[in-house]
Amino acid sequence: MSFFAVDHLTAGYGKNPVVRDLSFSLDSGCLLGILGANGSGKTTLLKAVCGILPHTGSCTLEQKVLEELSPRQMARQCSYIPQKSGIAIDISALEVVLMGFNPWLGLLERPDTAMKEEACRMLALVGLEGKEECNYLTLSEGQKQLCILARTLCCGTGLLLLDEPESALDFRFRHQMLEILRDWVSCGGRAAVVTLHDPLLALNYCDRLLVLSEGRSLGMLGPKEDSAEKMEALLGQIYGRISLTRLKDRGGRERLVMLKE
Amino acid sequence: MRHSTALSTVKIKKLCTAGVLLTALLAAASLFIGKYPLSLRELMEGNELQWKVFRTLRAGRTCVGLAGGFALGTAGFVYQTVFRNPLASPDIIGVSSGASAGAAVGILFLSGAAAVTASAFGGALLAVGIVLGLSALDRSGKKGTIVLAGIAVHSLAQTVLTCLKLAADPERQLASIEYWIMGSLNGISSYAIGGNLLLCLLCLGILFPLHRQIILLSGEEGEARMLGVNVGKLRLLVLLAATLAVSAVVSLTGLISFVGLLAPHGARLMTKDNRPGTMLLAGLLGSSLLLGADILARSLTAAELPVSIFTSLLGAPFLILLIWRKAGKS
Repeated sequence: MSFFAVDHLTAGYGKNPVVRDLSFSLDSGCLLGILGANGSGKTTLLKAVCGILPHTGSCTLEQKVLEELSPRQMARQCSYIPQKSGIAIDISALEVVLMGFNPWLGLLERPDTAMKEEACRMLALVGLEGKEECNYLTLSEGQKQLCILARTLCCGTGLLLLDEPESALDFRFRHQMLEILRDWVSCGGRAAVVTLHDPLLALNYCDRLLVLSEGRSLGMLGPKEDSAEKMEALLGQIYGRISLTRLKDRGGRERLVMLKE
Repeated sequence: MRHSTALSTVKIKKLCTAGVLLTALLAAASLFIGKYPLSLRELMEGNELQWKVFRTLRAGRTCVGLAGGFALGTAGFVYQTVFRNPLASPDIIGVSSGASAGAAVGILFLSGAAAVTASAFGGALLAVGIVLGLSALDRSGKKGTIVLAGIAVHSLAQTVLTCLKLAADPERQLASIEYWIMGSLNGISSYAIGGNLLLCLLCLGILFPLHRQIILLSGEEGEARMLGVNVGKLRLLVLLAATLAVSAVVSLTGLISFVGLLAPHGARLMTKDNRPGTMLLAGLLGSSLLLGADILARSLTAAELPVSIFTSLLGAPFLILLIWRKAGKS
């Protein structure tokens, strides 16, 4: 039995389906990357999984059908990072992170000292130590995204859904964010689904890659085990002619490099 | 370098303490200043006439100024946060227009101040009921639907009001309608405010403990939902409490302009934050503004003036000063 499964999911806006009859599953400890051109249905898929968009089909996490959960139960199982947070009021970074504990708090309950300490720890983990009292609105877009990641890590959920989390980050923070995600899923009983525009990040950090085109799955890849030729053939359908090469970095770790021909 | 813009909790507490002191000072002044000045000495000596004025006129008027301003300021904070709109005020969902139309019905077809107050309250509730009913038709629960429904109800209530004005006797009734719309704390009887104040306090008692949830509602709907918020139900509860508090006030006082808009902005500009202390400060600024405006409205000229003139006259320069200071610092 897989940890997380999407079964015949169709979703869209109004009567126009963007994602069509999509099915896939992943095991615990898996970081799944979703690649696809603009408009291929990556964001729609994530929004449908977390119940923000109406859809047909079903999503199952540890044998719980997500569609049957209340918002509160859902938030205890699954977290979502949108491309851009909608927070538009003056509020400190620490308070933004503390929002992540909401699913575990009563309606009138306030976060306790232990939660505040955990929130500070998460801010430090994403590289925002010392920014606790900073106004969230004054942070750079990249820092905001890291702050929302810290909030999401506080939620204590089993499944993370991230929509292009690297889009506003510089080179160093892109790799840092993916490293954090890798460490997070490796703790066991967890999985993450992340949509990415950068295929290099996807190829080097994700365990599995789902390639989407026009709302349909073109196939699933395993960058560690699949041959370069197989990956070139599948990724070539969305990027055009490409070359994939396996290289070793100075630490001896194998890396995939992709060139556009 | 830390570029913190949030004031420490200690500073917010100091601002709230200053707000409490200013409000208490103005409330005390409101009890004693007016056409018939009261003195503490004569009240202590048991002067019958002084006590009668205190009981029947001043106490009720001061209580409405205090609670009404607080409710308007707090409701303004809630509307601006939930709608993510700095211009949001009770009018955004048609409550003031509904109250005006209700008051006009009372003036034309009923008799007595209590009946006009009840009719205005009924008008405000009807407007809120229609807006929330219309927004419930959109099952996606988008907050934009509430705003659109509010605009529709506001226009409808304005049309009803215009028709009622046309039908009103120009000598008596039309003047009464216009005077009600301009807003005043004049003629509020201590014996007729109990129910309204109780409702107001009840609504405030719901809103303050829900501050954390109100802040969660300020984000995108999907984002709030994924933080475990039942967005539709919580927004309905919060807006209903804020609107009922405003309805309870404006049905007694008529339309009070600017307080619901200015007080939250003033509080935010001073604290640069949206903590519970900022919501409290918005309420305290609302109380101070309404009490100060009422003192001026009843004591500057021989005739009582509409209080909204002074809420705008006091409030606008204060807001400009805060914006100017903020611009100077940045």
